[in-house]
Formats: sequence, C-alpha cells, structure tokens
Amino acid sequence: MEKPFILHMLTTAKNLSPFDVNMALDAGWVSALPYTNVEASEIQGLVQDAIFSRSTKNLKRTGIFIGGRDTKQAMDMLNSAKRSMVPPFEVSVFADPSGAFTTAAGMVAAVEHELITKFNTTLAGKNILALGGTGPVGQAAAVISAQAGANVRIIGRQLEKAQHIADMCSNEFGDGKITITAGADSDKSEYIKTADVVFATGAAGIELLSAALIALAPQLKVAADVNAVPPAGIAGVDAFNNGTLIEGSISGAVGIGALAIGNIKYQAQNRLLKKMISSEKPVYLHFEHAFEIARDYIKSNS
Amino acid sequence: MEKRSILHMLDPMPNNSPFDVNMAMDAGFDVLVPYSNVKLDSVNRLTQDTIFSRSPAGIKRTGIFIGGRDLGLAIDMLDACQQAMVPPFEVSVFADPSGAFTTAAALVACVEKELKIKHGKELKDSKVLVFGGTGPVGIATGIIASLAGADTYLVDHLSNEAAAEVAKTYNRRFGCALTGVCANNDSDKINLIADVDIIFSAAKAGVQVLNSLVLKEANQLKVAGDVNAVPPMGIEGIKRNDLGVSLTHAINSKGAVGVGALAVGNVKYQLQHNMLKSMLETKTPLFLDFRAAFIKAREIV
Repeated sequence: MEKPFILHMLTTAKNLSPFDVNMALDAGWVSALPYTNVEASEIQGLVQDAIFSRSTKNLKRTGIFIGGRDTKQAMDMLNSAKRSMVPPFEVSVFADPSGAFTTAAGMVAAVEHELITKFNTTLAGKNILALGGTGPVGQAAAVISAQAGANVRIIGRQLEKAQHIADMCSNEFGDGKITITAGADSDKSEYIKTADVVFATGAAGIELLSAALIALAPQLKVAADVNAVPPAGIAGVDAFNNGTLIEGSISGAVGIGALAIGNIKYQAQNRLLKKMISSEKPVYLHFEHAFEIARDYIKSNS
Repeated sequence: MEKRSILHMLDPMPNNSPFDVNMAMDAGFDVLVPYSNVKLDSVNRLTQDTIFSRSPAGIKRTGIFIGGRDLGLAIDMLDACQQAMVPPFEVSVFADPSGAFTTAAALVACVEKELKIKHGKELKDSKVLVFGGTGPVGIATGIIASLAGADTYLVDHLSNEAAAEVAKTYNRRFGCALTGVCANNDSDKINLIADVDIIFSAAKAGVQVLNSLVLKEANQLKVAGDVNAVPPMGIEGIKRNDLGVSLTHAINSKGAVGVGALAVGNVKYQLQHNMLKSMLETKTPLFLDFRAAFIKAREIV
C-alpha cells in the first residue's frame, strides 16, 4: 500500500498560518502536522527524526514546510535543514515565511508581465521603489527584481533601518551578487521622479503613494500594491486592478492590485507544494523558485 | 461509513517528534492530532474528552500516544490515562518517550537471542553493564534486563550518586534490582568489565564508550549491543549492521559477539510499527509500555 503524504510544518511563531495549512492539504498533502515555536537549534533534530523514520521510497512522500514571519530566520532554517539531510535519507523543504516569498513572486511576475506587454521592455535596468519595503514581502520582492536586473531601492520611514535591510537583502539573500539601495520615506518625492516601477508592500490601510506623487512621476510604468484593505497603498489602484491605467499618471502607468497579485501567489504556492510531491529528487524551495513558477504560470495563461 | 481513525499524540515537550508522526501515519492512523506542552494533571481531562466524544465502536478507531523525553513522566501519564478510562469508554494508549521503550526492547531482545544461540545462556544467568545507563534508552534497557533476571548495573560517566539515585528511583517504581555505578575513565571501565557477560551501550551518539584496550580485559563477555549509529560506534569493532558477528577486540572472551545499531534499529522500527498497528486491530484496549514492547520484540526476533 502507498504511504500517505506527510508535511511537517515548522514555524518560529506560536501558531501556523491556517492559510498555509489549507494550501498544503489542497495541494495533495494528506497530513499536515504543526511544530510551533521552533528554534534554529532544533532544526537538525526535527529533520533527522523525519528522515530516519521512513524508507527512502517513502521519503518522497514526506516534506518539510518552513513558515514564521522572518525572512532571514526562514532562510537560515532552510539552509540548516538542507545541511541536516543524510543522503539518501533526504526530503524536500519549502520556505515561505508569512507567504511572503510567493506573494513577492506573484507581484514581481505580474509587474514584469505588464512591462513586457504594455511597455515592450523588461525588469532589467528599471528603477524600482519598494515602498514600505522593509517587511518580508518588500525584502523578497526587492531581491527577486534585483536578480532580474532591476535597480531596487527599499524605502522605509527610518533610513538606517532601511539601509540595514537593504544590505541584508544584497548580501544574505542575493549572495553579494546584487546591490539593493535604501532611501527614507521623506525623500520619496525626489526618488519618484526617476522611478519606473513602484511596489507598495507596507502595512495594510496606509497610503504609501499619493495622487500628488503619481503626478510627479514622468517615467512611471507599473505600480503594484499588495494591500487589499482600503485605503489603497497606491492612490487610484484598487484591489481588482490588473493592468488598469492609473488616473492622473502623466506617463500612462498601469496599476496592479492585491487580488490580481493574490491569484498568482496562490498558484505559485500551490505549484511549489505540488512540486515537493512530484519531484523525483528532493528540492529546496524559496523566493527564487517561487518567482520561476509564477513566471511560468503567467506565461501559460497569457 | 467507518469513522476515520484518530491518534491523539500527547507530548510534555513543545513539539512532537516527526519520527513518531511518520510511524503513526505509516501504521495506518488516518488523522494525527498533536498536543504539546502537556502536563501530567491535564492527562485525565484529555483522556476523558477523547473517550466521551465517540461511541464505543468509534473508540476502537481512537488511540492516545505519549511521547516526550522523560521515562518516569511518560509512565505516569500512561497510568493517568488508564485511570481516566470509564469502561466501555476506553481507548488504547502507547507510551514511547524518545522511542526509548521500543529501542531498549529491541536492543535487549536482539542481545538475548544471541546469548541463547551462541552461548546457550539466559539473561537470568548473566551479569549486565549498561553504559549510558542514566539516559532514557539506558534506563529502559536496564529495567527490561533486570526484570528478566539479569544482575544489572547502570553505568553513568560522571557520578556514582546520580547513578545510584536513578537505580533507586526505578527499582522502587518497577520492582527491578538495578545497581548504579560510575565509570569516567578506562581503568574504571576495566574494573567493571572483567566478569560481565553482557554489555549494552546506550550512550550519546558519536561517542566511543569502550575501546579495544578495555575490551581485552573482559574475561567472560558473551554479547555486546550498541545503539549508536553515528561514527565512531559506542563499542570498538562493532559495525552498524552486525548481528552476532565475532567481537574481535574482546580477545580474552571466547566466542563473544556484537550487535550493531542498524540491526537493533530494524527490530525497533518493526516493533514500533506493529505496536501502533495493534492499537487499531485490537478488540480490547491496550496499554503499552516497555514491558509490552519487550514481549513483542521477543516475538519479532
């Protein structure tokens, strides 16, 4: 008899996210077990307990998901899990803290699609402002787009914190191969003049880009907002927008709202969870893989 | 429609062990529900919530598993479960903290078998040393060996008092006759080893407990078993897959053989699998601890 699919779901937080639990079961995992308040030092023990209790054949039906809220912690745990494997005793691991990796991937892939179809260009060389970009989604989006060749500036209320996050993104997540810069929120009227793309990834219910600022943006092409709670993060971009012209933009910029992004995020997370099951060899999945699969999804649907 | 089978997994630690989760699913439970940070005084309520929410027919499809790291606490929790049952509202309960009960049962059963086959002896004729004797697997190994009649010594690597205290505690609880001793260097080990028949090594993974210099001082060693699967092995010369292979370093013990960690592990795996399965197949509720584990382990070997 075939053994059931088991996903061990680890989080540094007090509880798992029911979002991830639903997604895991809907992707075909039969059993999803929570491990909460997990500390980095426990990863090796948990991973080795998971790999040494099934035959290598049935380890293909076993996986580890890493949630939590912190991107660096999640990436550290992913790396530590990978190091704890004892081939051929090995299972697939997928990190998506706060769903940030798949959300960021969905947003960047959607923005790229608009650049290609409406402006006949790509992410390469574009100036991107990640407003409210110090959180998990902003960080992952910044790294993904920088890896695709964009010049990304993370904007935060405190310059020092934004700089610290930008450095972490460049060095830790980008392996030192990308350079993400930082800026203060108070200076955004200056930065907007040369911006091609804006991401709004701040807390829900805060307007990060006003109509007045949009009017100052002569080369703005795409503005994307992950906030689904009014007021919108970008003035004039509502949750349902999907490549819709932004009123008041002098450059004909289009907006992408939270629901359009959410749809791609959903597809990306679902496909990565399924990939863990279908892959012949163990896979270690994070924001890069999320972006790849989000791009594939958009390509196959356009 | 037949109700889905449910295993309620109680653990005094912050998280269950993924090992037990995989084992329980593979044994056929449909749904596993973890309960973490469980305190002894919550066990009564958790048990009664378990039994009173399904009809007696459904109860056969329901079980409780007790994990954690502490043997005494696991046994206390098992007792508390048993006392909370209200027949015919009863479910099966299986305690296996850190997998120690099934590991110890498998270890003793493998060694006992070699003792019989190769030397025609019984545990009750034997003097036994348990290295790593104050850890979960070591204690459970000692209790099982002692209850089978062996003259059993728990060896701690740091303190005589600690070893004596552990021996006293478990003697009182389970009516065994353990003695606690300490050995923190080779000459201590040589003193202990001269007249023993059986050695169990249940010390920390990756630590060599007995080297060839110590082993050659054993004059009547018959079987040595090791549960350490991470090199270096606990007993020099025993390989992971050994099952009754000659112990080359025990040059003064004629016919001594060794049992390695993977040989023990195979039996432990089957044992835990069978015990979990028996919870789903039984007509009357089972209360499973190291004693039940040893009976089943003997059947397996």
